[in-house]
Amino acid sequence: MTEVVITGLGALSHLGVGVDRFWQGLLAPAPPTPAVAPDPLAHVPIPDFYFLPDGALPDGPETVDGLTIGRATRAALTAAGEAVTDAGPSGADPGRTAVLLGSSIADAYVIEQWRGTKSFPDEDRWTPVFATASVVARELGALGTASTFSNACSGSGYSMATGADMIRAGEADVVIAGGFETYSRVAHAAFNQVGALDPDSCRPFDATRGGTVLGEGAGAVVLERADAARARGARIYATLTGSGWSCEAYHATGLDPDGGQIIRAMRDALDEAGRTPDDVDFVVPHATGTKLNDLTETQAMYGVFGERTADIPLYSLKALIGHTGGASGGLGVVAASLFLHHGVMTPNLPVAHPDPECRVRVPVERTPVGRTAMVNSYAFGGNNMSLLLRGEPR
Amino acid sequence: MTTPSTAADTSAYRTAVSDPVVTGIGVVTQETIDPAGERGDAWFDQRAQLGRGYKYLPKASQYLLAATTRALADTGADLADVPEHHRAVTIGTNNGMSQLYGEFDRTVIEGDSTLLSPATVPYFSVNLVGSRVAMEHALKGYSLGTHTPRVAGLEAVEHGSRALRAGRARWLLAGAAESPLDWSEPGSEGSEDGAVALVVEPADAVAARGGRAHGRVQVRSFLLPPPLAATGEGTAAGLLGAALQEVGVSGPRPPVRLVGADDAVTAAVEAALGGAEVTRHPAGVGCLAPALHVVEALRGPDTEQLVIGVAAQGNVSVARVAPMTS
Repeated sequence: MTEVVITGLGALSHLGVGVDRFWQGLLAPAPPTPAVAPDPLAHVPIPDFYFLPDGALPDGPETVDGLTIGRATRAALTAAGEAVTDAGPSGADPGRTAVLLGSSIADAYVIEQWRGTKSFPDEDRWTPVFATASVVARELGALGTASTFSNACSGSGYSMATGADMIRAGEADVVIAGGFETYSRVAHAAFNQVGALDPDSCRPFDATRGGTVLGEGAGAVVLERADAARARGARIYATLTGSGWSCEAYHATGLDPDGGQIIRAMRDALDEAGRTPDDVDFVVPHATGTKLNDLTETQAMYGVFGERTADIPLYSLKALIGHTGGASGGLGVVAASLFLHHGVMTPNLPVAHPDPECRVRVPVERTPVGRTAMVNSYAFGGNNMSLLLRGEPR
Repeated sequence: MTTPSTAADTSAYRTAVSDPVVTGIGVVTQETIDPAGERGDAWFDQRAQLGRGYKYLPKASQYLLAATTRALADTGADLADVPEHHRAVTIGTNNGMSQLYGEFDRTVIEGDSTLLSPATVPYFSVNLVGSRVAMEHALKGYSLGTHTPRVAGLEAVEHGSRALRAGRARWLLAGAAESPLDWSEPGSEGSEDGAVALVVEPADAVAARGGRAHGRVQVRSFLLPPPLAATGEGTAAGLLGAALQEVGVSGPRPPVRLVGADDAVTAAVEAALGGAEVTRHPAGVGCLAPALHVVEALRGPDTEQLVIGVAAQGNVSVARVAPMTS
């Protein structure tokens, strides 16, 4: 099977702009302080949100070829652009360079702002809010497939797994893949109404956890054929060795408590990579901080890894940056790639009151790691994705 | 620690589908449900079409559920014969949740989020259009939502078929579902309304059960950015030529149904096609029209056709539709 490697990374979160800021934030984790959404029309009980820092995004462009774009597309463009710069010139044919990006709501806030201010544009022109991949591809000079997916909080995972499949199928030589999410009044209100938000903080695996805290972010990678990347001397962060896809087909928002489909996703990713559960050195779990999800994911990991689950280092990213929706899996892959690249997992924020029902290891010290990582992402609609990464020899 | 279920310990999904074929077609539009136009905007009676329990679903979800029922019946096969973890769904929509979004937003602005209906609030997540069908029919292989302007329905076939070829599932529901843009959004005039559902299966499995297939649909996509469309005369031809080659068109080009609006990208694609045997078709606001043309090509005369969907943003999807010869 054609090997697919990650040669470029891009990251954006409340920690700041760029992979360097992301990495510095991971190295010295500080409990995040949520802000109240600066949206006077957002009448919600829990207004907390982790926003990108002021100035993180360029002010423009506000339109591209007549299409109004918003912060979400600018966030995606920022992260994808960084990943492409980081990868360096691949020399790939633009027609064989694809862009696949996932998001829960993409640029829905463009419409929400118009609606909220009652100031719709004069021109009666359709403004599709999921045109982000088209805009990003245009700006980066990619002329292959440019698809915008949703798949909610597993959108990044599906974009990366699909991108790898495109390369293996010979449909593309380079794929820019990832996910993005920025503030939306409707999405924030919906999370409030389904009771998925914690008014204090996002505390995965903590016995007192009450839900998640939403955050803005974008995560992107450049995927390439391994032989081409090695031939041009590209820096390789990791090989995307396997993906496991599954659907709960159970409930609009919840995981099936039996964990069967997320177990299958993890096992399928391992199978595709030709690895066994014992080969996995660390996991970036989905770990949203919601009661049922953390418990179900823990139990599913026990179903895959057995009692070794209690010893596998986990990196609980959402405790630090919140739940970045469609970007969450992408930022999880960026974090895992950096851990594999540096050979060390950065310290987690402490779990103050470990949930006895979630017997997992969330190390708060720098932890040397081996070469095999798993990144999980799950979503409303039951869309699950597990990705397996292998680091380069050190 | 609770022991998790081992019921899903069924990783035998890795049999790649080398020859996916369309075995079931379901279409729900005003023309198919209310051809005389007697019911006007109330053309879709969800209770009559779906039965109890679907009243609060967004229209696009209702349409897709009804289209899926038709497509399943059209296969002449029993879905129960396909293991649940082999069944997948990839659905495209552009505006399927727009009205719901608008209603939610007005509720939050004028009231507060506690007034949002618990039954419908999860549907802010647009991937639920497909995932709701997954819940209905235990499609546990995977569920993917595509939303690229205008071509999302064709992309659903493209990405879904590739996933079958990679062995991620062995049975696919692919298609498009739309409902009108919220009244407050610009461009709501011309909104599409309806759904297309295609069942895609391995040709060998269909042959083994003595079933019949409608045909094959292969899709490749590319981006022709508007500035290049306006100035790069050779770019459109080059990208189009590569896409045609990738869907297996190397000799004389089959007739083309070109589905696009009055924009520079559609004009550039039309120019690159050269005019002969190219029929322009209007595109609505959404991704339904190209999918409907695929259905017409599958049901039409036993000759290959190309359906090319074009978005003003530059997305172009080329579908080679090859009906099975009778």
